[in-house]
Amino acid sequence: MNTFRIGWRNIWRNGKRTWITVVAIALNTAILIVSYALMQGMMVDMVDNATRMVVGDAQVHAPGYRLDQSMYKCIKEPEKIVDAARKAGIQAAARSYGFGLISSGSKSAGGIFWGVDPAAEQKSFELSKHMLIGEYLSAEPGKNVVLGQKLAKSLHADVGSEIVAVVQAADGSLGNELFTVCGILKVAGEKIDRGGAIIHRADFEELFVSGGRVHEIALNAWGKLSAEEVAGVASVAAGDDEVKTWKQLMPLLFEMVKMFDVAIFIFGLVFFLAAGLGVMNTMLMATYERIREFGIQKAMGSTPWRIMKDVSIEAFVMAVFSTLIGAAIGVAAGLYFQEYGINLEAMARETITFSGIAFDPLWRATLSGKIVMLPVFVMWIICVVAALYPAGKAARLNPVRAMTHV
Amino acid sequence: MEAIVQLEDVAKDYGQGDLTVHALRGVDLSIQKGDLAAVAGPSGSGKTTLLNVIGGLDTPSAGRVWVDGKEVTQMSRSKLSKLRLNRIGFVFQAYNLIPVLTAYENAEYVLMLQGMPAKERREKVMDLLKQVGLEGMDKRFPRELSGGQQQRVAIARAIAAQPALVLADEPTANVDSKTAAALLDLMVRLNEERQATFLFSTHDQNVMKRSKRLILLKDGMIDHNGKPENIEH
Repeated sequence: MNTFRIGWRNIWRNGKRTWITVVAIALNTAILIVSYALMQGMMVDMVDNATRMVVGDAQVHAPGYRLDQSMYKCIKEPEKIVDAARKAGIQAAARSYGFGLISSGSKSAGGIFWGVDPAAEQKSFELSKHMLIGEYLSAEPGKNVVLGQKLAKSLHADVGSEIVAVVQAADGSLGNELFTVCGILKVAGEKIDRGGAIIHRADFEELFVSGGRVHEIALNAWGKLSAEEVAGVASVAAGDDEVKTWKQLMPLLFEMVKMFDVAIFIFGLVFFLAAGLGVMNTMLMATYERIREFGIQKAMGSTPWRIMKDVSIEAFVMAVFSTLIGAAIGVAAGLYFQEYGINLEAMARETITFSGIAFDPLWRATLSGKIVMLPVFVMWIICVVAALYPAGKAARLNPVRAMTHV
Repeated sequence: MEAIVQLEDVAKDYGQGDLTVHALRGVDLSIQKGDLAAVAGPSGSGKTTLLNVIGGLDTPSAGRVWVDGKEVTQMSRSKLSKLRLNRIGFVFQAYNLIPVLTAYENAEYVLMLQGMPAKERREKVMDLLKQVGLEGMDKRFPRELSGGQQQRVAIARAIAAQPALVLADEPTANVDSKTAAALLDLMVRLNEERQATFLFSTHDQNVMKRSKRLILLKDGMIDHNGKPENIEH
């Protein structure tokens, strides 16, 4: 005699009631899987956009540079750090920053000039693929500039427009240069959108007379190493320079990622509670209907523990059956949203940003074994726990009274 | 002869105050090993209560009960469960089979609770079903069996663990006279072949006649305890 088979037979004694409970548990499980996958997708997208676009897993700066972005606070031995990173299989991009005034026709705006190595940027980050119009910088310097979307808009600049850069150079002189807009970025974060003017490092050095100063090295392992491992590699070569992971560079985003876990937990709690109450109700009804039988079982010599076990197994069998259906629905829906996503363009015309980080308007789910199994396992536990009260009631029955129960 | 059941001044009251019902009053009784005893009496005379008290399903208000040498009245719930599982078999008037279990599984139930290995259980239960005349019906559910067949399953279940005592509460009350006679034959045969001690509660004259000993209860007290043929009608 298989206790699980008996549990299976018992749950189908009242098919209609069992189906209602099964559907409720299955739907709860499916909703949990899909919403968990969508939230996970949003988180992955957020972190990826933040790290893979520009920031990377970790960055190196001169001490105090992040607080006071002075042209003179530069990394001591940038080549050493870049070499160490590349030896460890980490992509590295050295950047120089300088402030200045940008004009186009009668329009002008303040901006931050990024002096970059286009080839290294293309290997290390996805910003170069994030073009709204035009193209990213070519490998060779050519007095070209890529503008952030809002900056381009405020300057009324388009691809092919000429802009004039006026800056204070590192030697105290006034630097000015004419650049041609070769591309405009999609929304990529507040900092780049409003003031970003990306130019070749050689052009930057010429404009700012920077003498090869590097203010930032951004490191990206493309998921092969954790942010902490990347920072560890850079720290060895960085000496006194400051190495920070993306979690330290963007604490707000990191807090948000952690908050998502809490949100998922609270969200899940509501659904688990609803499913648990459903199971408890079903098992209570099933127990009351079978009081006589429990009395007989006790008369035969069944211990209270055995009766508790039988009722709990019954709930477990129902939970397994229901969650299998729920998981199938959840996985199917999750795969659909993973493939096709939810298009938010109708709600937001431009790319959505939060805390300076851009989101893809196509919100995709990220499905994984953990995302499927966690709601399923927790649902099993909830169902068995919910059955303990009716099981306990059945176990405590007086056999004579139970057998004469009508 | 060794006593399998011993009752000493047993009383059982239900309710309180003026509404108290004295189901048993000062019952002294001894049932010997291998006995086939019938407890008879009018409705409300205390037959079922007596069986429940002996089987450890109900606790007496006063007095002491021994089953197979162990004092039932002093036992904890778990020890009572163990005693019922290993030493006592029950047959009920309403068969009381578990509806989701087949005839085989119902008969197997007690052996499973005892933890007997599956192979051993199978051999034993199949043999038992054959003995009670249910060969080939092992896969049938109670709803697919007649009343008499269901009671045979109940008897198989009661004797499966080879208990020292089988308590049968009006086992022939819900079946026709022919089936009742067949059931009685079966229980008499099991009593003789297996030396199983049977204690029935009954209204059935045939059961009374075929028992080795008849105990008559009246208002919760023993009115007669002896051979059936010695009863004054």
